[in-house]
Amino acid sequence: MKIAILFSAGRHAASGRPAPVPVELQAIRLARELIGQAAGDAAGDAAGDLSGDAPGVITGFHAGPDAGPLKDALGHGLSRLVQLSIGAQDDPLPSLAAALGAERFDLVLAGRSGQGGEDAGLLPYALARALGLPIVADACALAAGPQPGTLSLEQALPRGARRRLILRLPALITVHPAAPAPLPFAFAAMRRGMLETREGVPAPRAAGEVEERAYRARPKLIAKSAAGASATERLKAATEAASSGGRLLVDPSPEDAAREILAHLRQIGVLRH
Amino acid sequence: MSRLRRDPRMERAAHRIAGTPRPRFDLAAASAATSAATSAAPGRLRRDPRGEERLALVPGTPRRRLDRTQRVALAPAGAVPAAAMAETAPRLVVIAEPAYLVAVVPDAPGGRLTPHDRQVIGAARLLADAGGGAVLALVEMPGEDLAAAGVDRVLGLPVAGYDPEAKAALLHAVLDGLDIRHALLPESADGADLARRLAALTGEALFAGAESLTAKAITRAAQGRRIEQRRAPPRLITLAADASAPHGGAPHEAIPVVFALPTLAPGAILSAEFVPADPASVGLDEADFVVSAGNGVHDFTAFRALVAALNATPGASRMVCDAGLMPRAAQVGASGTVLDARCYFALGIAGAPQHLQGVARCEHVVAVNTDLHAAMIERAGLAIVADAQKVMPALIDALTGAGAAEAQP
Ligand SMILES: Cc1cc2nc3c(=O)[nH]c(=O)nc-3n(C[C@H](O)[C@H](O)[C@H](O)COP(=O)(O)OP(=O)(O)OC[C@H]3O[C@@H](n4cnc5c(N)ncnc54)[C@H](O)[C@@H]3O)c2cc1C
Repeated sequence: MKIAILFSAGRHAASGRPAPVPVELQAIRLARELIGQAAGDAAGDAAGDLSGDAPGVITGFHAGPDAGPLKDALGHGLSRLVQLSIGAQDDPLPSLAAALGAERFDLVLAGRSGQGGEDAGLLPYALARALGLPIVADACALAAGPQPGTLSLEQALPRGARRRLILRLPALITVHPAAPAPLPFAFAAMRRGMLETREGVPAPRAAGEVEERAYRARPKLIAKSAAGASATERLKAATEAASSGGRLLVDPSPEDAAREILAHLRQIGVLRH
Repeated sequence: MSRLRRDPRMERAAHRIAGTPRPRFDLAAASAATSAATSAAPGRLRRDPRGEERLALVPGTPRRRLDRTQRVALAPAGAVPAAAMAETAPRLVVIAEPAYLVAVVPDAPGGRLTPHDRQVIGAARLLADAGGGAVLALVEMPGEDLAAAGVDRVLGLPVAGYDPEAKAALLHAVLDGLDIRHALLPESADGADLARRLAALTGEALFAGAESLTAKAITRAAQGRRIEQRRAPPRLITLAADASAPHGGAPHEAIPVVFALPTLAPGAILSAEFVPADPASVGLDEADFVVSAGNGVHDFTAFRALVAALNATPGASRMVCDAGLMPRAAQVGASGTVLDARCYFALGIAGAPQHLQGVARCEHVVAVNTDLHAAMIERAGLAIVADAQKVMPALIDALTGAGAAEAQP
């Protein structure tokens, strides 16, 4: 199985220094475990390093002027990283589409949204469209599917719920932060890893009508109490029910109380049996 | 407040007799002048303390309350407000011939709008009202709450199961076929995915995760929240949570529209299955259903059994956590976890303000307490005044009994 992983030029969330984006490092682990599983090999961690009769290869792709801190990804278990050299202001989409279109990958993994650029998370979708691949968002676990050429994946939903999907390959999948943590960094692995530089496709971005300024945090909207009302009213708005006027049962027998509670819980749909 | 300030020099100058080399003042003529002045512009108004009190009286409260700050808009007392209210309440806003449409694609799991969906509809209302447009909701299952949320038109999208590719293709057809000036989606898991698919399909720019929105300008954060991007609202927008207020005015009509949707070939997703979260492992802030113990619970074995039987996430009040009976991570409240749960079941909790702040966002609350006057009883949608130690075993019996009865046939 041939897997490609897309790497973006990220910035560290706290320090703002160039750094790999954590979900993309998590993608390396997902890919390696998938290949290890496909090889029927419990020691899946060796799979990525084999070259000749390897059951799978993982290639990282980055389009940008400089691979820089992305070399760290080699230390987190990636064996080969291809940097497509383009200008800092260029659009990475044509370069990536050309590079991924030239080789046929069964699976393309990407982060959820960049961190430090436009941060819109639009690139994987535009790339999937350019390559003609189906795209699935927010994977947090991958496994081989029931039939050959299929993939079973778990999609992370809010509130800890999951959706289990079976998908026909090839496909592009974005990874969710709920995926297992990245493999630990190993300096020797980073030294061993291959970094290849190719010419990208220069594609200057059209200037948009977007005006940029320094970020200013805005207050989030809170429950709309009368904005100038008294302190008591604001406290009430923060603590009182939106739907007041509930039912009150005084001193029912425990059995009656239990029946009422269960009926109420079933009616609002939190109790499923 | 209503008293004019006296200026004695001016008053004296008004009485001066003109044309004499030495200053001379005629106070006899003065009295006539001042009386004329008082009748024209009263120099000193008389206070009417009763009138002021009448103005400050807050109407509609059983106890007499005065609001001297006058920050709450005053309604004239008497029968007038009741009549006005009866007039405004059931009025339906009808936009018969909209200048354009603002499309909204709410997540609406199971046909019910989420709070985030309501905010997105509120934002769409803002964009529509700015130029006489109408809000069109594109939903899989049209529910009844759309009209109250501020939707003018509804169009159903026939999508079977989880198939975002097909849904995006249908939306693309609608965007092409109707006069849609803006399309708004929530920046939630499914909404964000759908918006990006749509952007890739149409090739248009997407304004992702907008954090403030007016009819003229819209902003979002970029470059790891270092830069704020600002522009006039484009066609495709996703809105972050809590960025816009939900529609608070009169309901709109929410009438269905007819549109010929294309039929689509099946996509690459072969099967989809929903796996609910394991409540034992999910964090308190993510939990959907929380059962919580307070100082009124003494039997913690029964409490844990009840939590497991209800398939809920355990929580506790601070008293219980301080006593070491539950882990600190389980504390609900201002200094613990603020819940985002759908339902909160409080056993033996008094409902101190610090605790209630943690439950403020819960839609449904059930309380069991021995004290009829506890604040938790007042907050609850279903309140039971009974001993928690007796109710818990009865609940476990009812649950296991129900399970056994279901397993038998
Ligand atoms: C700065 C600050 C921050 C705080 N933050 C938090 C916070 O984050 N979370 C929090 O929970 N608290 C917090 N508190 C504490 C809070 O003020 C209350 O003291 C606490 O919530 C009370 O917990 P309780 O309701 O379990 O106990 P109690 O006040 O003792 O109430 C027990 C209730 O159980 C009922 N009861 C008694 N026996 C039974 C029975 N057999 N069956 C049924 N009901 C029975 C009683 O009628 C009573 O209503 C904070 C306090 C301060 C000062």
